Amino acid sequence: MVPTSAVILEMNSITKEFPGVKALSEVSLQVKANEIHAICGENGAGKSTLMKVLSGVYPYGTYTGDIVYQGNICQFKDIRASEAAGIVIIHQELALIPELSIMENIFLGNEPTRFGVINWREARRRTIELLARVGLADDPDTPVKEIGVGKQQLVEIAKALNKSVKLLILDEPTAALNESDSAHLLDLIRGLKSKGISSIMISHKLNEIEAVADAITIIRDGKTVETLDVAADGVDEDRIIKGMVGRTLESRFPDHTPTIGEVFFEVKNWTVAHPQIADRLVCKGSNFNVRRGEIVGFAGLMGAGRTELARSVFGRSYGKYLSGQIIKDGKEVQLRTVSQAINAGLGYVTEDRKTLGLNLLDDIKATTVSAALKKITHNMVINDDEEYNVAEDYRKQLRTKAPNVDEGVGKLSGGNQQKVVLAKWMFTDPDLLILDEPTRGIDVGAKYEIYGIIQKLADAGKGVIVISSELPELLGLSDRIYTIFEGAITGVLNKDEASQESLMKLMTAAKKSA
Amino acid sequence: MLKFNKSLKTLAVVAAVSALALTGCGRADSSSSSSSSKAGFAQNSLIGVALPQKTSENWVLAEGLFNDGLKNAGFKPDVQFANGGVTDQQNQISSMITKGAKVIIVGAIDGAQLGTQLKQAKDAGATIIAYDRLLLNTPNVDYYVAYDNRKVGQLQGQALLDGMKKKKATGPYNIELFAGSPDDANAKVFFQGAMDVLQPKIDDGTVKIVSGQKSFEQAVTQGWKAENAQKRMDTLLASSYSNTELDGVLSPNDTLARAIITSVKAAGKPIPTVTGQDSEVESVKSIMAGEQYSTINKDTTALVNQAITMVKDLQAGNTPKINDDKQYNNGVKVVPAYLLTPQIVTKENAAQQYANDKTLEPLTK
Amino acid sequence: MNALKQILGGNTRQFGMIFALVFLVVFFQIMTGGLTLTPDNVINLFNGNAYVLILAIGMVLVIIAGHIDLSVGSVAAFVGIVVALTMRDWHLPWYVGILMGLVLGALIGAWQGFWVAYVGIPAFIVTLAGMLLFRGANQAVGHSNTIPVGADFQYIGAGYLPEIGPNTGYNNLTLLIGVIVVVAIIIGELRARKAKAELGGEISPVWVTVAKLVLICAVVLYATYLFATGRPGTSFPIPGIILGVLVLFYGFVSSRTVVGRHVYAVGGNRHAAELSGVQSKKVNFLVIMNMSILAGLAGMIFVARSNASGPFDGTGWELDAIAAVFIGGAAVSGGVGTVVGSVIGGLVMAVLNNGLQLLGAGADQTQIIKGLVLLAAVAFDVFNKSQGKPSFIGLLTRGKGKAASPEVTADVVPNSTSETISHSA
Repeated sequence: MVPTSAVILEMNSITKEFPGVKALSEVSLQVKANEIHAICGENGAGKSTLMKVLSGVYPYGTYTGDIVYQGNICQFKDIRASEAAGIVIIHQELALIPELSIMENIFLGNEPTRFGVINWREARRRTIELLARVGLADDPDTPVKEIGVGKQQLVEIAKALNKSVKLLILDEPTAALNESDSAHLLDLIRGLKSKGISSIMISHKLNEIEAVADAITIIRDGKTVETLDVAADGVDEDRIIKGMVGRTLESRFPDHTPTIGEVFFEVKNWTVAHPQIADRLVCKGSNFNVRRGEIVGFAGLMGAGRTELARSVFGRSYGKYLSGQIIKDGKEVQLRTVSQAINAGLGYVTEDRKTLGLNLLDDIKATTVSAALKKITHNMVINDDEEYNVAEDYRKQLRTKAPNVDEGVGKLSGGNQQKVVLAKWMFTDPDLLILDEPTRGIDVGAKYEIYGIIQKLADAGKGVIVISSELPELLGLSDRIYTIFEGAITGVLNKDEASQESLMKLMTAAKKSA
Repeated sequence: MLKFNKSLKTLAVVAAVSALALTGCGRADSSSSSSSSKAGFAQNSLIGVALPQKTSENWVLAEGLFNDGLKNAGFKPDVQFANGGVTDQQNQISSMITKGAKVIIVGAIDGAQLGTQLKQAKDAGATIIAYDRLLLNTPNVDYYVAYDNRKVGQLQGQALLDGMKKKKATGPYNIELFAGSPDDANAKVFFQGAMDVLQPKIDDGTVKIVSGQKSFEQAVTQGWKAENAQKRMDTLLASSYSNTELDGVLSPNDTLARAIITSVKAAGKPIPTVTGQDSEVESVKSIMAGEQYSTINKDTTALVNQAITMVKDLQAGNTPKINDDKQYNNGVKVVPAYLLTPQIVTKENAAQQYANDKTLEPLTK
Repeated sequence: MNALKQILGGNTRQFGMIFALVFLVVFFQIMTGGLTLTPDNVINLFNGNAYVLILAIGMVLVIIAGHIDLSVGSVAAFVGIVVALTMRDWHLPWYVGILMGLVLGALIGAWQGFWVAYVGIPAFIVTLAGMLLFRGANQAVGHSNTIPVGADFQYIGAGYLPEIGPNTGYNNLTLLIGVIVVVAIIIGELRARKAKAELGGEISPVWVTVAKLVLICAVVLYATYLFATGRPGTSFPIPGIILGVLVLFYGFVSSRTVVGRHVYAVGGNRHAAELSGVQSKKVNFLVIMNMSILAGLAGMIFVARSNASGPFDGTGWELDAIAAVFIGGAAVSGGVGTVVGSVIGGLVMAVLNNGLQLLGAGADQTQIIKGLVLLAAVAFDVFNKSQGKPSFIGLLTRGKGKAASPEVTADVVPNSTSETISHSA
C-alpha cells in the first residue's frame, strides 16, 4: 500500500496560541510520500488551525515549532509561499467565483500572460488538459455557478493541479456532496496518490476515511493523540471514534436530576426544502417531541440538517415549508412567522451569534429586551427604567461579566455574549427554547455556567432542545438524544442507552441504524 | 441628592434673572434705518449682486464688470453666483440683507421664487433692481434693466428668414425650433418674439417645421443646457431629416446654436442657417467662419453700466431714469423698466458691431 | 487637568458635536464682525435650511435601516408642484393643500417602499428610479412652469409667530417658548439624574450637570432673545417650529418606541432582527415611506418660502441631506445614527454655508470647503474608531441608550478568531 516510506512533510511540536487560548499544543504530524493522511478530531480540536499553520494562513512567527517539507525547514509567510512550494489547501467553503467561467477560476491570480496580456489560448489548452485529469468534460467557458457542487470541488482540484501541487490539503471535501459525487472525488484522490501527489484530508465522515486513508492522525483538544496506520493496525470506525472522544466527562456538568412531565410539543412529518434549490430536501419527514422539564439533544454532523430543522420549526425562518404539523399543548399551531413562533412560546438561540444572533452595535440592555419589547412598552412608549432593571436582573442572575448593562455587546467575550442572548430569550418566557450550539466558542468555565442555566430552565418546566456537535456535551446534558443524518432523523436514544459510539454510528451511517 | 437639587434651583434662578436682564435691551427700533431711498445712502455702502449659475460667458463677464464698476464708483460690491440653484440664491440674498446691502441687483434663476427674500430686503430698506430677468409675483421690485427681449426674438426670427433666403432664393424652407429653459421667464418671450415673425410664414407655407414640434413646450431646452439641445437635434435629424434638407434652425442663444451645429456636423449634413444670441466668443468665431449665421449683440457692458448708473442715482437720492412704464407687468405691479435695444450681428456687420469690444473686435478681422 | 478630563471624557463629551457647531458660530461671528448672530441672520439660517434638516430626519432613519434615498429632491418637487397647482386650480384652502401633499408623499413612499421592502430591489436603485421619475413627473405636471402659491400657504415656509399680549418690546410667544424649553430641559435632566441614582447608575458630579445645564440654557435663552428681538413682524419662524416638533417626535420615536428599536435592529443586523421576531420588510417599508412623507413636507415648506413651485426645486437636496446625516455620525453600513445628530450635522453645514456667504466667498469656494468638511468629519470619526477610541461624532450625539459601539470594528476580528478555536480551551 505504501510504496516508499520517504517522509514528505513533518510538523514538529507545533504550538499556536490565540489571545487567552492555546489552540495547538505540541502537535506533531508526519505525512509520507504517496500517502493519503486523514486528520480526525472533534469540532474545535484544532484540525483546521493546524492546516492553516501548514498553508501559511498563519504565517511563520505566529506559531512555534518546525515545518519540514521535502527535507527543508519551511517558513511560509503567506499562502502564496506555501503554494509555490506545492502545498495547496482546498477549503470547506469553496473559493470559486460563481460568475466566472471554469477556465477563469482555474487561472485566477495565476493568469498566463504574454507581454502583460492574458494568453487565453494557452489558458484554454491547459484548462482542457487539467479538466481531463480530474475527469471533467465540461466546456472551460461554463460559468462555475452552472455546474454542481461536486464538479465545483473537482474544479478546485484542477486549480490546485495547475499550481503543480505535491501536497493537497482537503478540508471536509465531501461535506456538501452526495454519495456518487463523493465516491468520484475519493477515487480521484486515490488516483492522484498513484501519480505522486499526497493528500491530507480532514473529514467527519469516518466511513470515507476508513476507505481511503493510509494513515490517520487523531487530534484532541489541540494535542496529538495518536497516529494510526490503517492497514497495519486494522483500524475501523469504532477505533477512530474511541481515539477522538477518549476523555472523561466527570465534573464537566453540574449535577442535575430532571423532573420530566408530559409531552407538550410535537413535530410530525416535518418536510422542508432548501430555500433556493426546490428539489433538495433539508428536512425529510422528521418526527420528534419534547416533554416538559426535558432537555432533548440533537446530534448530527455539520450539514446534517440540525439547524435547518430548528429554524424551519421556529416560524419557518429557514427553507421552504412543504408539509408537517406542529402540535403544542395538544393543539395544532401554525407558526408561519418568527413573531408567531415567539408568541406561541418558542425561542431559538442561533449557532451563529455574530451574524444571526446579535446586533453588535447594541448594548446589553437593548439586546436583552429586543425579542420582547412589548413587555416593557406602555402606551407605545418603551420604559427605559424597566429596560435597565430587566437587563440588570439578568446580568446578575446569569453572572454576565460586564461593567454595566450600557456596555456594547460587541465588546463582550463569547461566553458573556451568549449569556446576553440567553437572557434575551429567557425574557420572552418561552415554553420551548431551542439552543443551537449553545457553547460554541465558549471556554470551559462559561460552558459549565451555561449548562447550569439550561438545567434551571428545564427545572422551571420548560422544554429545551440542545443542538450540538460536541457529543460529550449532549451526553452530559440531555435526557434524550435524537440523531440526524442528511436531513432525516435516524434514531432516538435515552440518556442511559446513549454513548458516543452509538451516537456516532447513527450520525454517520444511516443504513446501519433502525 | 438634596444638595444637588439645591444647586439646580440656584441654576433656575440664575437663568430667570438673566432672562429678565435681557429685557433691558428689548427689540431694536429698526424704523430709523428702514427709510425710503429718497435720502440716498452712504457712498461706500454695500451693493449686492445675485447672479444665477455660471452657465454662459455673459454672466462671468457681468461678474467682472459689476465688481469693477461698483468699486470704481466707490461702492462695496458683493457679487455672488448661485451655482447650487434657487436655494443658494435665496440664501445669498438673505446674506446680503444681513450685511446691510442698500441695493440688491438680482439676476434671478427663477424670478417667481424669491418673493420672501425680496420682502425681507424691502423691509430692511434695500432697493431691488431686477437685472436681465424680471422678478415675478412680488410688489417688492423697484426697477428692471434688460434688453428688450421680445425684440430679440423678433430679430432672431427675421435673421433666420434672411439667412435661409441667402442660401436658397425661394422656399419652402424646412426649419426646426429651439427655445430656452422653461424656468427662465425670458425664454418664452424670445420664442414668442421669433414666432411673431415666423408664424405668418408658417401659415402661408413658405416655412415648414418638418418634425411638427412647434409649441414652446416641445421646443424647450431644460436648464439652457447644450447637451440637451444637442440630444434633441440628434433625434430630430435622425427622425425627420434622413432624406430631407434642413434649411434653418431657430436657436435662442449661442451656446445652444453651437450645440445644434455640432449635432448637424456629426450627422454629416450641411450646416443650416442657425441663429443665436449673446455674442459669445466661440460663436463670433463660428459666424466669421461661416457656420453660425447670426447672433445678437446685447452688450453686457452697456447693461451692467446701466444698472450701476441706477445705483448711483439711488445713492445720490435721485430717481433713476426709466424708458418704459407699461410693458412689464410681473403679476402684481407694472415694473418701471429701462430697456436697451439689441442688435443683430451677422458676418457682414460684425466688424462694425464689435468695433468697441476689446475681446471680440480682433475676431472680426 | 482633572476637570478638563472630566468634561472631555465624562458625560459632557456627548455635547461635543454641539461644541463644534458653537465653535463655527463663534468663529463666523468674529470673522463677519458680528453679522452671524443677528436676529435676521439666525432666522434666515433656520428658514433657509429647514427643508434640508427635515429631510435629514427622514434620511437618518433610512440610513440607520441600511438604505439610502436618492429621490427626496424629486419627490419634494413633485409634491410641491401638485400642491401648488391644485390649490390654484381647484381653489383649495391651504390646510387641504398641506394634507393632500402629505397624503401624496405617503403614496409615493408606499410605492417606493413596496419595491424596496417586498420586491427586494436595493433602495439605491428604486430611489434612483424615483429621482428620475418624479423629476419628470414634476415637469410634466407643471409643464416646466413656475406656479405661484397663495399668501396663506406661504405662512408655513415664511411665517412667524404672531404678536399677542402686551407690548413688551419682545415677541411674547417666542419668549414663552424659550422659557418652556429651558424649564423642560432642567426638569428632564433632573429626572434623568434621579432615575439614574435610583438605579445605581454612574452619576456625573453635580458641577458637571450644572455647567452643562447653564451652557444649554444660556444658548436657548440667547436664541430666544435673538428671535424675540428681530425686526418687527419677525419672530420665531414657523419652519423652525415645524422642525422642532419633528425633531422631538422623531427623536422620541427612534429611541423610545418599538418601531424605532426595530429600525436600529434591522440596520444593525437584519438576520438577527428577523430571528428576534422583527418584521424587517415592514420596517423597511415604513422608513422608506416615512422619508417620502417628510420629503413632501420639505417640498411644501420650500414652495411656501419661495412663494412658488418651480421645475428645478429640490435638485441636489438628497445629497445635502445625506451629507448632514453622515456628518451627524451615522454609518454607511447602517445601524448607527441619531436624529438629533443628523440635525446638528445639517446645522453645521448650514452655518458653514451662511458664514461663508457672509464673508463673501463665492459659491465655488463654498462647495470646496463643504466637501472638505464632510470628508474631514467622517475621516476623523473613522480614524478614531481605528484607534479604538470612542467615535467622536457617534458618541457625542448618542441618545439615551442608542449608540454606536465604536470598538466593534476593532473587536470583531480577534474575537472571531478566538471563537473558532476556543473549543479546545
